[in-house]
Amino acid sequence: MKKLIRIDLSIGQSILISTLTIVTVVLLVTGTIFYSTFSLRTDELVETQSREINKQIVLNFENYINSLIETANYIQTSSLNLDLQENRNRLQEIYVLSREGKRDVISIFLFDLEGNALLGGSSRRNRFLRPDMELWFLNALRDLGIFHFSPPHTLNSQDDEEVISVSKLVDYLDGGEQKKGVLLLELNFRTITSLAEKSNLGEGGHILILDDNDSLIYTSTEGQSAALESLSLARRQNLGGFKASINSIGMYGNINTLSQTRWRIVTMYNIDEIGRAKKQMFSVLSFILLGSIGITMSVAIFISRRISGPLNQLKKYMLRIEQGDFTSRVEVSGQREIVLVADSFNDMIDEIRSLMDRLITEQREKRKSELVALQNQINPHFLYNTLDSIIWLAENERSDDVITTVVALARFFRISISKGQNFIPVSDEIAHIRNYLTIQSIRYTGKFEYHFEINHEILGNKVMKLILQPLVENAIYHGVGEETGLITIRGYREGEFIIFEVENTGYGIPEEKIAQLYRILNGEEEGQSVGLKNVYQRLKLYYGDEADLVISSELDEMTNVRVLIPAAVPGGVKQ
Amino acid sequence: MRKILILPILLAVLSGCSSHKPRVALFLYNGEDLFMQSFADKIVAMAGMDIELSVFDAQNSQLLQNEHIENQIKEGCDLMLINPVDRLGAYSVIRRLKSENIPVIYFNREPLFKDLLLWEKTWYVGAKANQSGQMQAELVMELFGNDPGNLNRYDRNGDGRIQTVILKGEQGHQDAEIRTSEVVRSFRLMGFDLDILITEVANWDKDEAYEKMDDIIKTYGHDMELVLANNDAMALGAIRRMRQKGMFKDSNGNGRVDMDDDSWIPVLGIDGLEQAVQMIEEGYLYGTVINDSLSMARAMRDLSEAILNGRNIYDLPYRIEDNKYIWIDYQAFIKNH
Repeated sequence: MKKLIRIDLSIGQSILISTLTIVTVVLLVTGTIFYSTFSLRTDELVETQSREINKQIVLNFENYINSLIETANYIQTSSLNLDLQENRNRLQEIYVLSREGKRDVISIFLFDLEGNALLGGSSRRNRFLRPDMELWFLNALRDLGIFHFSPPHTLNSQDDEEVISVSKLVDYLDGGEQKKGVLLLELNFRTITSLAEKSNLGEGGHILILDDNDSLIYTSTEGQSAALESLSLARRQNLGGFKASINSIGMYGNINTLSQTRWRIVTMYNIDEIGRAKKQMFSVLSFILLGSIGITMSVAIFISRRISGPLNQLKKYMLRIEQGDFTSRVEVSGQREIVLVADSFNDMIDEIRSLMDRLITEQREKRKSELVALQNQINPHFLYNTLDSIIWLAENERSDDVITTVVALARFFRISISKGQNFIPVSDEIAHIRNYLTIQSIRYTGKFEYHFEINHEILGNKVMKLILQPLVENAIYHGVGEETGLITIRGYREGEFIIFEVENTGYGIPEEKIAQLYRILNGEEEGQSVGLKNVYQRLKLYYGDEADLVISSELDEMTNVRVLIPAAVPGGVKQ
Repeated sequence: MRKILILPILLAVLSGCSSHKPRVALFLYNGEDLFMQSFADKIVAMAGMDIELSVFDAQNSQLLQNEHIENQIKEGCDLMLINPVDRLGAYSVIRRLKSENIPVIYFNREPLFKDLLLWEKTWYVGAKANQSGQMQAELVMELFGNDPGNLNRYDRNGDGRIQTVILKGEQGHQDAEIRTSEVVRSFRLMGFDLDILITEVANWDKDEAYEKMDDIIKTYGHDMELVLANNDAMALGAIRRMRQKGMFKDSNGNGRVDMDDDSWIPVLGIDGLEQAVQMIEEGYLYGTVINDSLSMARAMRDLSEAILNGRNIYDLPYRIEDNKYIWIDYQAFIKNH
C-alpha cells in the first residue's frame, strides 16, 4: 500500500498554491503556444520578406534589362525591316535616337562580321581599333541568338567610367540580302549600381551580382570580407534562399537569376532586426507572466489573509473561552462569511453564558432549600426532648429549673430562627450552645460538666448557624456514662480556618467505628448518626471541599470532633 | 499580392498515396500559353499511376519558377520536367539540381548546350526550331506555285515578290529568332523574293497579335499577301482581327471560306493547336507546322521512366544526340493533307 501523504496546509497556503499553479500553468501554456506561433510566423515572415525584397530587386533589374532589350529589339527589327542600302540615313537616325533616348546608353553600334561599324555611334569618342578582337564581339559569335552581358570595364585608361557591353549576333538587311552582324550596346554601369542602392536590406545587408562563371560583377557592400563571405555562400548555393551569418549578423540570402543576362542577383537581408521583435515579444511575455504571478500572489495573499486572519482571531478567542473566560467577545473584521461566523459565535457564547448563569442560580436555590430542610430536621427532635425534660421537671416540682429551662429554650429558638439568617456571629452560636447546655444540664443533672475555651478574636466572625449543637448533643449522649463526663468546647483560629472542637471524655470510639462514621458521612453507608451527617453535609454544601469534619478518639479517654471552616468566606456562600 | 497559382495534380488518389512513389514536378513557363496547356495536358494524361506528378505554372516569371523549383527541392522531388521561363538562367537551376542530385528534363525551351553539360543527368526534349521555319516556308512556296520566277495568283499585285507580315514570338526567345530567320532564309534559299513589310513582336500571344494586327492592317492591309506567325496562337489572333477588318469573306455565299475569295490571305502558324487545326478545316488558317507535343510528351515519359527506374536511357527507341538531346520532328499540316 502506498502511504498516503497528508498535506497539511493552511488556507492561505492552499489558496496561494492553487491560484499560482493555475495562473502559471495557464499563462505558460498560452504563452508558449503564442510565442512558438509568433516565432514560427516571424521566421516565415523573415523568409517571405527577404524573398519579396529579393524579387523586388530582381524585378527592378529586370525592368531595366527589359527596356534595354526592347530598345535593342527595336533596333534589330528595324535593321531587319529596313534595307541598309536604301534606308541608311533612316536607320542611322533610329540608332542615334535610340541611344539619345536612354541616358544610360553610351553607344549603340552595328558591326559587320569583319568588325566594321555599319551604323550607330557613341556619345564618347570612338575607341574601337579592332572590334572583332574584343571579347563581346567574340562572345556574340560564339553563342548565337542571345545577348551577352560583359562584366563592367573602363572605357579607356584615362577615364574611370565603367561600362557594360551588351552584344548579340543579329540579322540585318543589306541590299535585299539578310546578313549577320554584331549589335553592341554600351551601358553606364552607374545605372545598374544605382538600382541596387535603392533597396533597403537592413544594416549590413547587401547585394551581389554574379555572372555565370560565379565572378563578382558588382557588390553594394564596401566591406571586403562580407562580400567575399557572401560570394562563397552564393557559389555554394547557386539558387534559392539560405540562412547565414555574415560578420556575426544574421542574414537571409536569396539568389535569383536575372532574366536574359545570365547574371544572378544575390541579396543578403539582415534578419536580426526582425529577430529582435522575437526577443522583444519574449521579454514582453515573460514580463506578463511574472507580473501576473506577482499580482495573483498578492491577491491570493490578500484574500487568504481576509479569511485566515479572522479565523486565527476566532481561534484565539475560542481558546480563551475554553479556559473559562466567557466575558470576552470576538471582534473580527475581514471576509464577510468569517465575520458572520464570528457573530454567530458571539451569540452562541452569550447563550452559553446565560445558560450557565441560570444553572448556577438554580443550583444555589436548590442548595438553599436543602439547607433549610436540614436545619429544620434539628429542631423537632430537640424540642421533643426538651419538652420531655420540662415535663419531667414539672412532675418533680422543680419550678426554678422549669423556668430556667423554658427561658433557655426560648433563647435557643430565638437564635435558631435568627430572623431567617443562616449565618450568625460566632458569639451567637456560642450563646446558642450555652442555652442548649443549660437545658440539657438540667435534664441530665450531675451527669456531665462542660466548659468553653473560645478565643475572643473569632467572636465577630460569621459562621453557619447550628454547627455545634448537633455535635454537643452527640457528646452528651455518647460521652455521658456512670462517671461525670466533661465536655469541652473550643473555638479558635488556625491559619485560614476557624476551628471548633467538641471534646468529651468517655470510652472513646474504636478505629473501625470511626472509619464507619466517615463512610456514613460520605453517604456510602446508612447509619444512625443523623446529627453528625447533617453537620457534615451542610459544611460541604456551604463551604465546599475546604471545610471538613475530623473525628479523633483515644479509647477510655476521650472523643474529639473538629470542624474546620474557611475564614475567608465570612458569610459563607453569598446569599 | 502573392499570386502564386499552383495546380498540384495528384494522380495518386486511388492507389493510396504511398510515399514510395517517385515525385515528379512539371514546371510550365506560362499556363496561359495555349500550346503549353495542351502539352501539359498530354504529359499529365500519360503519367502513370506509379508516379506523383505536380504541375506548377510560373506565369511567365522566372522568379516564380525559381521559387517553385526551390520548394520542390525541399519537398524531395525525384525528377523535374522544366519548361524554363528564361532559358539562359537554366545554368543556375542545373547547378543547384546537380548539388541535390535531382535529374532534370528540359523541354520546349532549350538551355544553352554548355549549360546542359553542367550536370550529366540533364536532358532536353524538343523540336529543332529551324525545321519549323523551313516547313512553314515550304508550305507557302507550295501555295504560291513552287516556282519563284512565276508566282501564281496569290501574288496579288503580281510583282513577283511576296509582301509578308511576320508575327514574331517573344524577342530574344530562341524559337522566335530561329523560326523567323529560318523561314526568311528558306525563301531566299529557294529563290523566292520576300518583302518583309514588318516583323511585329507579339510575344506568342493571341490577344497581343490581335491588338497589333490592327495597326498592321491599317498600314499594310492593301499590300499584305502573307502572314507568317511564329505560333498558332498569334496566327489565330491575327485571323480574328483580319476577319473584323473584312477579310475571309464568303463572297460567293457558298457557306464556306474559300481560298479563291479575294479577301482571303494565307496565314500560317506553328504548333498545331487544336483550335488551329479547326481553323484550317474551316478555311481561315492556311496551314500550320505541328510541333508534335504528343511525341514529345511520350519521349519525356519514356525518358522519365528510364531515369526513375535506373534503366539505360540508350535502350530507348530515341536517338540521344550529344547525350543530351532528343529531337522530335515537326509535321506540316494543311487542309486535306
